[in-house]
Amino acid sequence: MGNKNKRPVYLNLFKLRLPVTGVVSIVHRITGLFLVLLLPPAFYLLQRSLQNRDAFDGIVSWFSALPGRLIMLVVLWLFLQHFFSGVRHLLQDMDIGVGKAAGRLSARLTFIASIVVIAIIGVRLL
Amino acid sequence: MRRSRYTGSAHTGTMEWLIQRVSALYLSGFVIYLIVSFSYAPLGEFAAWKAWFSLGGVRLAWALFFLSLLLHAWIGLRSIYMDYLQPLWLRFSFTLLTGVGLLTLALWAAQILLQAGP
Repeated sequence: MGNKNKRPVYLNLFKLRLPVTGVVSIVHRITGLFLVLLLPPAFYLLQRSLQNRDAFDGIVSWFSALPGRLIMLVVLWLFLQHFFSGVRHLLQDMDIGVGKAAGRLSARLTFIASIVVIAIIGVRLL
Repeated sequence: MRRSRYTGSAHTGTMEWLIQRVSALYLSGFVIYLIVSFSYAPLGEFAAWKAWFSLGGVRLAWALFFLSLLLHAWIGLRSIYMDYLQPLWLRFSFTLLTGVGLLTLALWAAQILLQAGP
């Protein structure tokens, strides 16, 4: 952007270390984007499940099988991670957990929380 | 005259900010209620599922859910585009496509809710 000289700009994303607070921020956006992309198939399944008994039973039995359960776990994790990093945003709006140390701690906590909850659900589901 | 620095999605749209927060509260309440209630009492029967969905209050709650969901998605995606899509035509195209897509989903949601009536 308006950079006229030809200095080499080295932006190797694997060598650039993003702080954990930056990681939650980008993960919040990525999980949100994936959740939006999942809306059309989800709308389709909801509509089909309400149409007749056969469609409903088909969907239920597909989600009861292993691939269906695994997909459900992945989608649930996307939601949970987005939820916990969203709660972090809301708390920061209320001036709770603002500051470098608190921000880093809460960033780590969102990952820990989403992993712990998905582990609990996974144990019940698998 | 110097053009002011472009700041992406930061510092614009108080209304968007507020809608994003309010819809987030409704969405999390609704989705967590669904996850918890279905994990304790799974709906195994088509008839029970259909009967539950045809209740007026349930469909109203779903209508509010769809509304919050699509507004939340719109504001969220718009912020992402403002921050990362640099040539204006590219950002404009993505924003337009997203708007059309989300409006389509809104009509689809309305169809699902109307079909599920008693």
